[in-house]
Formats: sequence, C-alpha cells, structure tokens
Amino acid sequence: MPNPSPDFRYPLRWRLMDGVERLADTLWPRSMSRHTGWLFITPAILLVGLLVLGLIQIGDASLRVLDTATFLPSEDWSLTNYRKALASSTYLTVAWRSLSGAVLVTVLTLILAFPYAYALVRVRKAWIRKALLITLFLPFFIGQVVRAYGWLIILGNSGMVNEALSLVGVAPMRLLFNYGAVVFGLVQYMLPFAVLLLVPALTAIPEETETAAGSLGASWPRILWHVLLPMAKPGLIGAGLVVFTLTLTDFAVPAMLGGGSQDYIANAIYDQFFRTADQGLGSALALMLVAAGSVLVGLVFMVFGAGTLAMGGRK
Amino acid sequence: MSGGSSAESTAGNPVAVVAQGVDMDFGTGAMAVKNAAFSLERGRFLTILGPSGSGKTTLLRMIAGFQTPTRGTILIGGRPADAVAPHRRSVGMVFQKLALFPHMTVEENVAFPLKMRRFNPREIPERVAHYLDLVRLAGFSKRRINALSGGQQQRVAIARALVFEPELLLLDEPLAALDRKLREEMQLEFRRIQKELGVTTINVTHDQREALVVSDEIIVMDQGEIQQQASPVGMYRRPANPFVAHFIGVSSFLTGRRTGTGLTVNGTECAGQAVDDIAPGLAAQGAIRAEQVRIAAPGGDLSGCDTVLEGQVSDSIFEGERLLYFVRLPALETTVQIYHHDPAEQAPYARGATVSVGWNARDLLIFPAKDR
Repeated sequence: MPNPSPDFRYPLRWRLMDGVERLADTLWPRSMSRHTGWLFITPAILLVGLLVLGLIQIGDASLRVLDTATFLPSEDWSLTNYRKALASSTYLTVAWRSLSGAVLVTVLTLILAFPYAYALVRVRKAWIRKALLITLFLPFFIGQVVRAYGWLIILGNSGMVNEALSLVGVAPMRLLFNYGAVVFGLVQYMLPFAVLLLVPALTAIPEETETAAGSLGASWPRILWHVLLPMAKPGLIGAGLVVFTLTLTDFAVPAMLGGGSQDYIANAIYDQFFRTADQGLGSALALMLVAAGSVLVGLVFMVFGAGTLAMGGRK
Repeated sequence: MSGGSSAESTAGNPVAVVAQGVDMDFGTGAMAVKNAAFSLERGRFLTILGPSGSGKTTLLRMIAGFQTPTRGTILIGGRPADAVAPHRRSVGMVFQKLALFPHMTVEENVAFPLKMRRFNPREIPERVAHYLDLVRLAGFSKRRINALSGGQQQRVAIARALVFEPELLLLDEPLAALDRKLREEMQLEFRRIQKELGVTTINVTHDQREALVVSDEIIVMDQGEIQQQASPVGMYRRPANPFVAHFIGVSSFLTGRRTGTGLTVNGTECAGQAVDDIAPGLAAQGAIRAEQVRIAAPGGDLSGCDTVLEGQVSDSIFEGERLLYFVRLPALETTVQIYHHDPAEQAPYARGATVSVGWNARDLLIFPAKDR
C-alpha cells in the first residue's frame, strides 16, 4: 500500500464509504452478485404478495353471508352473495353503466388525446409545446376530488355555464348529476393519461414517413388513416387499456358528478362495505369487477396484443 | 409500360424540369437557396452535389413540393408546379431514411402509391410484381419491411417511388447510410434502373464519387448557390471555379499573380492556363489535380513538363491502387499532392527524400482570386 506519510489519513467520507462497502460485502458476498437483481425487486414482490393475500381474504369474505340478526358473517361458505348480485336488477344496471361508460370514455378520450399528443410531438416552437404541456398537467396536479368539485361549481344550476347561457336568454338547465356529466368528468380526468401514453408511440413515427406518404399520393386524411393510426396502434391500445381500467374502477367522479344517481361498481362496493356493512356482498361485487376487468383486458391482449404495455416484449 | 400515361401528357416537351431564379429564405440569416436556375432535359440523370448546408436538399424538397420557393418558379413538364400539392405532383421520391411503412408488407408498400392515386385495382398486383421484378425483389412480396436487409429496403423504396410511373424521380441521399460496398452496388443499380426506364432523375448527394459514377449531369452547389452545371467529364476537366476544383477530385492550390504565361508564385514562374480572362498582375489562384503532377528522382525524366521544381517528400499515403505523396516545394512555399500510380513498380520515395516535380501548362488551371 503506497502511503505518503505515516500520519496520512484518507478523508472521512472515503473511509465511511469503505466501511459501507465492507459491510455490504459481508452481508451480500460477491458470489451472490448474480442474484442482486432479485434483491432489488423483492420489495415489489412483497407488495404484490400482500395484495394477493388481500384478494384471498376478500374471496373468503365473499363466500360468507351476512346474518342480519347478529350482523356477523356466516360460518359456512355459499355462493349466495354472487347469486344475489347477479339476480339484482340494480346491480346489473350499475354494471352496465360502468362498462358502457368505460367504453364510451375510452373512445372519447382517445379521439381527443390523439390530436393533442400529435401536436405535442410535431409542434416546432418550444413555447407552444410548453404551453400545451402546462395546460395538460395543471389539472393533473390538482387531484380528482378537487377537480370534480370545480366542475360542480362551474356546471351547477347557478354556475358559470348557466350564467352565461342566461345572458343569451337560455333558461338554466340541469348539467350535473346525469350520465353525461359523469362521462364528461371522466374524459377530462383521463385525458392526460392518454396523451402521456400516446406521445412515445407518436414520437416513434418519423415525420419523413408522413412526408413520404404525401409524396406517394396520399391526402392528409388518408395519411392519418393508412399510416398514422396503424403505426400508432401500440400507443392507442396501451392508452385505451389504461383509460378503460381506470374508468371502470373509478369512484370519485361518478360519486360527485353523478350525485348518487349515476353509481359505478366502485360506488356500489363502497356502499356495501361502509354503509350497509355487508362485507360479503361487497367482496363478491369487488371480485366480479376484478374478473370482468381482467377478462376484457385479456381479450384485448389476445386480439390486438398488449401495445406499448408489452414493454418491448413480444405480443 | 415504360412510357406510362403521365409521360405521354408531356410528350413533345424535351425539358423535364426548369428552375427560374429560385430563392428559399427560412428567415434564419443566410438564404438556403439563392437565385437557383437550371434546366434538365427529359430522361437525364442529374446529381446535385454539395457539402452539407449547401442548399441541395432544400432545392430538391422544393422540386418535390414540400417547400414553396420564396421567389422564382419551378416548372415540371413545362407547367409551373408552385401551386400543386406534393400528392398531386407526378414525382416519386426516395427518402434519406427510406420512410418505408413498417406495418405493411413489401407488396403493400409498393402498392400504396397505386391505391392512393386510384389506379385500377385489377391492374395493381401486376404492376407491383413488375416493379418488384425490376428491382430484383421478386419473391419478397410477402415479407415484412423489418425482415429485409438494408440493400433490400433500398430496393423496396425505389420500387415504391417508381411504380406509379412518375414524370420525375427524386433521390434524397438514400445511399448515405450504407456501407461502401453496398453503396457502390446500389449506385450501379440506380444507374441501371434509370437507363432501363428512362425516367428523369434528380439525385442529391455530398459524395463526389457517386455524382461522377451515376450522373449524366452534375450541379455543384455551395452556400445556396449553383456553382456549375456540367457533365461529369466536363466538370472534372474544366471546373468553373476553385470551389468546384476543390470539391471534385484532389487538387493542390497555388496562390500568386497572373503573368502572361501562367502564374507567379512567391517569385517563381508556374506555367498554366487561365479559365477566365485575368489581366496580368492581378491576384489569381491556380489549381492542379493530384494525378496531373508528375514525380521523379532529382534530375529524373520529366520530359514534356512545362514547369519542373524540386521538393521534399513530407508524407506518403498508400491507397492500394496508388500512392498519394505530399511534397513540400520550398520555391513556392507550399505543399502539393501527387498521385503516383503503379506503386508496386518501384520503391516509394522515403519521407524527407528530395524529388523532382513537374506539370504541363494545360493542367494548371488559373482562376481569379476570390478575396483580395
């Protein structure tokens, strides 16, 4: 060891780092370095494992019927809760509302997000791109509940929109607490997610490809249809799946903008857990939602591939 | 099939493309293209050659219709093209990065312009097959683009640009990214296909070898301006100015003053001939090709040379079929480059060796000095 003088000492930070390294070597010897990757994803695996345990418990709860006399779940298992949920026309309406709403919101969001993402990718002036990004993200940072509340103020019976309408002589109308208001609020909430997921897909399309399609005789709508949309397909699928699953399970927007008349499945589950305290029925509904969502996503995966969600893996 | 419907409509007009006083100003300081004017006959292969930033690609993009000239007119087939959108022009283009459609097969890529230009659907498969055959890709029609090699992708791009029988084929440096062997192979392919179809072609490149190999005509551009339009041989033998002499081939430059018989450099008379009339005594620049300078042992045989000088070899580079010498000439206070062919015939001159250097008066071209 070259040591310039007997009283030479390395800086404190170096010695500390050496100590940490020695400690790491004893705790996790070099021979284990092949498994270091596993070490890093262990926390994530534990987290997912907890989730699975929770699901098992919910599964167990869903098979026990609430005894209305004692308010305790039954000792034995039965499928009563599932039968009750499937036989109830209320739940079927809620399920249909959630599913059709999720599909509608997904389609509308993609239609709005595509031109927005395209503009973000292709616009040349940096300040326009910044303005577009800020406009997109400002609401994103505000949070869902506050934003929904904002819509209550704007769309209320004496809100800004109705005030403006009254100026041109239109009688105030009920803009809130209906299906349209919920879809509107959800689309507005989902737009940034969809744009963010579409941007990488559109960035991957070279501008020259569009120019080439033009020089080969394609007009602008045909470039969109024959070149842009097919090439952006992975992004559209990825964005569509994320928006669909988030919408299907959304709670706050249907609760606030639907005003209790436009419940989604999540709201029905909430009611069972926290209002009627029927954990069994709530669990059954929750599991049916998980199943329906998984089946639909699985179907999309099988038909179209996972899109950008495949993370570069094969279909 | 080689005539095509689009060509017939302009039959009788021997001029395919004319540019008249074309300017392009992006508003970023210097103009991208300044007062470009040229004309190109039908069936010719023109290469626009220039360093990067010379405006050659901008000029090509204006011909394709992707950009509108700030001033001036471009006529295609005798008609002003300025108001015609790119997808309505009869122009096929091969792009630098090819811009093939990765979500389509080879066949679908080539059929794309036919579908977009509303060709008879029953005609399409036959046409596609014909052009895939022309670029020697028969049997690849069902392949995905990503499953092809670089050279095969080039061929798809060519077929796609030609299949609708455009009046004009534009090539935007499509060979720039290829390795040398493949590039040279594709240059010959471009030439073969162009001769076979007789389609008027404009190629853009910064590769002087490519320009010499493929073209009937060359335009050299620098800083947005056309420097010279000539045949490859004409351009090589008679460059219009020092820039062209410098850009095509390997030349040495001598700076001095014009005399009656040539150029005086640092007090030494050098035999040469003036390209333009320059009054004696004015500052002038001489250019001579490396292969026109002869090299010999001191006092060796340089018979026929009008100027003979002594110098020292400062470096030599072995290039395979020839040697490139750098010889310092103290009398001129400059270094000249000399190609020596058949280097195997004799041992090369060592670094520092004294040699005799000579040239013929007709090979030293004298231009007016650009700056004074």
